Amino acid sequence: MNPSRAKYDQLIVDLRSELRPQRQWGEGRGIFLVIGHFVVGVAAGTWLFSWLFGSQAGLAIAFMLACLGGGAHLAFLGRPGRFWRMMAHVRTSWISRGFFGLAFFIAGAFLYLVPLFLPGVLWSTDSILAGIGCVLAFVGMLILMVYMGFVYTSSKGIPFWNSPLHPALYIAYALRGGVAALLLSVALGAHSSAPVAQLLLLWIGITALVIVFIALEVYGALTSGNPAAQRSVHELLAGRIAIYFYGGTLALGVLLPAWLVWTRFSGPLSLGTMAALGLASVFGDFFMKYSTIRAGVHLPVWTRLAPQR
Amino acid sequence: MRWGMVIDLKRCIGCYGCQLSCKAEHGTPPGVFYARVLKREEGQYPTVRPVFLPVLCNHCEEAPCVDACPTGASFKWNDGIVDIDHDKCVGCRACMMACPYSNRYFNDGPQNYYEAGPTAYEQARTTRHQNNVVMKCNFCRDRVRMGKQPACVANCPTVARYFGDLEDPTSEVSRLIKERGGFPLHPEAGTKPSVFYLPA
Repeated sequence: MNPSRAKYDQLIVDLRSELRPQRQWGEGRGIFLVIGHFVVGVAAGTWLFSWLFGSQAGLAIAFMLACLGGGAHLAFLGRPGRFWRMMAHVRTSWISRGFFGLAFFIAGAFLYLVPLFLPGVLWSTDSILAGIGCVLAFVGMLILMVYMGFVYTSSKGIPFWNSPLHPALYIAYALRGGVAALLLSVALGAHSSAPVAQLLLLWIGITALVIVFIALEVYGALTSGNPAAQRSVHELLAGRIAIYFYGGTLALGVLLPAWLVWTRFSGPLSLGTMAALGLASVFGDFFMKYSTIRAGVHLPVWTRLAPQR
Repeated sequence: MRWGMVIDLKRCIGCYGCQLSCKAEHGTPPGVFYARVLKREEGQYPTVRPVFLPVLCNHCEEAPCVDACPTGASFKWNDGIVDIDHDKCVGCRACMMACPYSNRYFNDGPQNYYEAGPTAYEQARTTRHQNNVVMKCNFCRDRVRMGKQPACVANCPTVARYFGDLEDPTSEVSRLIKERGGFPLHPEAGTKPSVFYLPA
């Protein structure tokens, strides 16, 4: 059977079920949206920590990740040729705001990085252009950190995402991804003024915050009384998404890095271990985003199934 | 002026006439249903009865899909009808996630019902639609502008659907809502829908 026919059959099955899983974001070409959100979040966090700890390589990595994230977003769109239209509705749409954030970030980072990597060629680091670039990149970074969470929170049709904790969770993901990317860049030989022990402490603090936010979100969904949110939690913990949650998020994203951090405090940390920690943490974040997006279930249409949340 | 619809659940017999007439009117591809009928059984044996819930875009006054759309492709006419400008849609599907009624569809599936290829009818009708964009009901705005009723209303054999101006207190829809306790779906979402149901 051809894929589009299989998709149609799946839609008919979904439409007949009372709790319809969302498949547009996360399945098929929808995976590019998850990749885009993940990569752009890591880019924003990496820029922040690289700027704070003076890592030029980290800044360059953040710029490249943002470009990659922009490409992934375009690959997700049904009509990517019309992408420029996404700047039209910034007053109410978080996607539109995110579009501006990414544009500001990429343009600003470019202006800021050119004199750092090509000194004396086009403009200098203390020029107005570099200053404007620094401000633009910073504004873009802040927007990138917050907008994704608000995109999900404003999705009234998916009760599991429609939670006020989502923006805080996505900011925490961005920060955790930033620390992990910086650890990875240091492991690969890049300079950073931050000692490894400080980065590890940061990673532990932010990871604890992420775990608390996830636990609160899951608890909130379970106790909200909304069957769609409860089904989402069931999918996440014991359903079709559980493998990604336990294997990717918990084992790869929390337990493995936690064990690697423990080895650091009980002895010297090799560069290879540090790189593994950064990679495991980053991939764990990807699987967390992937699994929460895939676990989304539409609000049931029959009202008696959906008491007020 | 605010166009709205009232659906009498007591009169609906679940014939799917609205769904079929909508398909015929708009020539929507497979996987796109501007109007649908949901069916379930209620009660316990031996007093079981089928219940039907016809659904369509609710043309909300506070439409979350319009707010979520980054391009302005989803918009609201002055008469309250929420519509999509398919030339502006980028296919980000944010509106589908924002809609609490799941009445938006992404047109990326097959464009004909039979694997052998499109029928002459499908070639004439289905190909008018752009693919990889979001589609939904627009209360048959072209028909309404010509003074006709939406296809689902005009073709309902049991006269379970009524269409009219919700802001006119003397209109039939306003009277039915008032007299028979018309209710919208998911009022807690705060979207102020323009589709009301009369209790079964």
